Amino acid sequence: MTLVHNWHLGRRMEYPYFESRPKRQFAAIFNINRCIACQTCTMACKSAWTYNKGQEHMWWNNVETKPYGGYPQSWDVKTLKLIDNGENTWYTSEKDEKLSPYGVYEGDTIFEAAAKKNINQWAVGYIPEDKEWRSPNFGEDVAKSNKPDEYSSLPEHSRWFFYIQRLCNHCTYPGCLAACPRKAIYKRKEDGIVLIDQKRCRGYRKCVEQCPYKKPMFRGLTRVSEKCIACYPRIEGRDPLTKGRPMETRCMAACVGQIRLQGFLDDNPKNPVTWLIRHDKLALPLYPQFGTEPNIYYIPPRWAPRSYLRQMFGPGVDEAIDKFMVPSRERLAVMSLFRMTQTIVFEYKIEEGPKVFETEIHGKKFEMFNDTIIGYGEDGQEVVRTCVEEPIHVRDPKHYNSI
Amino acid sequence: MKKGFSLLKYSLPLLGAAFLSATLFAAEETAPGVKGASEEEFTPAKEVLTVKYVQLDKPYHMDVESLRGAFKDANPVKVTLQKQDKAFPNGGGSVTGAEVKAIHDGITIYFQITWSDPTKNARSIAVQEFRDAVALMFPLGAVEITPAEHFSPRMGDREKPTNLWHWKADWEADLLVKGELEDVEVQYPNMHDDFNFNPYSVYYHRELITSVEVLSGGRAANNLLSQPGRGRTVEDLNAEGFGTLTTQDHQDVNGCSHYEDGVWTVIMYRSLITQDPHDVQFVPGGNAFFNMAVWNGGEQDRNGQKNISTQWHPATLEKVAWQ
Repeated sequence: MTLVHNWHLGRRMEYPYFESRPKRQFAAIFNINRCIACQTCTMACKSAWTYNKGQEHMWWNNVETKPYGGYPQSWDVKTLKLIDNGENTWYTSEKDEKLSPYGVYEGDTIFEAAAKKNINQWAVGYIPEDKEWRSPNFGEDVAKSNKPDEYSSLPEHSRWFFYIQRLCNHCTYPGCLAACPRKAIYKRKEDGIVLIDQKRCRGYRKCVEQCPYKKPMFRGLTRVSEKCIACYPRIEGRDPLTKGRPMETRCMAACVGQIRLQGFLDDNPKNPVTWLIRHDKLALPLYPQFGTEPNIYYIPPRWAPRSYLRQMFGPGVDEAIDKFMVPSRERLAVMSLFRMTQTIVFEYKIEEGPKVFETEIHGKKFEMFNDTIIGYGEDGQEVVRTCVEEPIHVRDPKHYNSI
Repeated sequence: MKKGFSLLKYSLPLLGAAFLSATLFAAEETAPGVKGASEEEFTPAKEVLTVKYVQLDKPYHMDVESLRGAFKDANPVKVTLQKQDKAFPNGGGSVTGAEVKAIHDGITIYFQITWSDPTKNARSIAVQEFRDAVALMFPLGAVEITPAEHFSPRMGDREKPTNLWHWKADWEADLLVKGELEDVEVQYPNMHDDFNFNPYSVYYHRELITSVEVLSGGRAANNLLSQPGRGRTVEDLNAEGFGTLTTQDHQDVNGCSHYEDGVWTVIMYRSLITQDPHDVQFVPGGNAFFNMAVWNGGEQDRNGQKNISTQWHPATLEKVAWQ
């Protein structure tokens, strides 16, 4: 075991392999506040990669309702129990921008829990039985009622549910990669995508057991395991549509509600994904306490109980929701980029515009400026240009009813 | 007095060093999750397996019943098996012993292994189901194995490769179905998939369906575990230490099996000599070593979660009658 630094946890932790971060890490941001659970992302992935025999139960991307849903059923509850996570204690009095932006996690990761319990494998985990992989949308839209007779109002609705959209997080310290006794799972240096080598895999399912998010899946037909591949041909720029430029994955590009932005986490503060995650801290990791440093980030839903959200996204929740409710000028502009293009945006620039709106939201002053935001591709060329306010066109009276 | 005093100053650190070295010696992890080997592991077992020379009428059907008579004069060797606790993931322990017999007819060598297993697990399609299996491991090349000449009994070691014959219960079941690979419907009879393979269907799209090999994961990658039509029940592999197990490009071993009343009987057979340089070669009148492992699918045994023997077992091949 070596010691590696996990910036979600704000401390070092044990992992079987040395710290080795990719040049730029495949990452994405999902705005839970905007998801309508249309499942277009789910179907985009399914129709691209998992429509084949043996993959019928596989949903590399899935959207589940919280609190009662889960694919596989109760995956998070079961894994949290394995790390004895009733506590989820974080030391938040001291934070470091770079090393511990959320504070320090004081509980056990899945690796530390395995060492403590002496189970003689790299991480705690369980293999969900086939029946748990059925009904991926079980519990859809089923609300939790805290106070059934009361009106729902912010900050916490008395009847609530929200959707969480999940795919493989392509973690920095994957549980699956640590679990594989044959090193059949590898993380690419060029983009941090985690893949299962189909020739090397022998179907031991230690990855299925030890991924806390349960995204490696066993394929009965071929007797080996498969997982989300981050549509790597698109990331490599091999889709002719983007003319050689890296393209967002199927599930990201297909999002009807425009909740997803995919790109790379790198050192550039003007990279929209990097800015929103590392500098603005609007988007938070999923269950950081597992210790794998997942790379899919979420803007938490503003109506759900904070304690539930803190368990799910860590202690940065309150700050993130405040920032989302009353967005700053730059934040609003960057968020306007979501789903404006399929080409991955590597850098953004904001051209200032006039002030168009002013109000007070929950006691805080909010001003909206119609800034123009420009996104640049890998080669520095402009790939998208959009404004904060949607342009309004009034149709000629002659064509009032035309499409 | 002065001398005694200066020595006393060093006693605590000395004690600490002694304690530390004791703990280090006891833990002795040679790599993360891997326990160091003891002298006992490098010492071959005492009982020698005699591979009896038998003049065999090769039966038309290679099965356990037809070959039973051939093994009657072969002396069994009892191999003690234990839980695998040398490297992550640890597991096994449900099968405590197996019996090995071996014969050859100057052309083919046959190993018969029997062990107790209350459940027959001959399918590995559902995610929570694992197969019963047994493997024999042989050092590659002519080797001396003595306590002085270390040859690791655990999957070999770097520069000390081994040849493994891995019989799987589900490969046996695969042979019996059309296409020689049990399909998803065998486990989930009403499973529906979105892909219509029926070439006469209105929805048949030749270009799309012939590209399906690209999305066949293991099958497209030529992983032997995913291939239909293997024509055998035993996999021929090599290993050079934990995590290095590799399927051979050329498969040479075959086997047959029988399960009755909680007992598995597996016969693995191969030509004494093969053309494959990655295969162990057997010479009548010569010596060999073997080690073995058994997997009980009912206990989720697979990979390192297995029942192992911690020592090499010596074997001698009887000479052919006319030598």
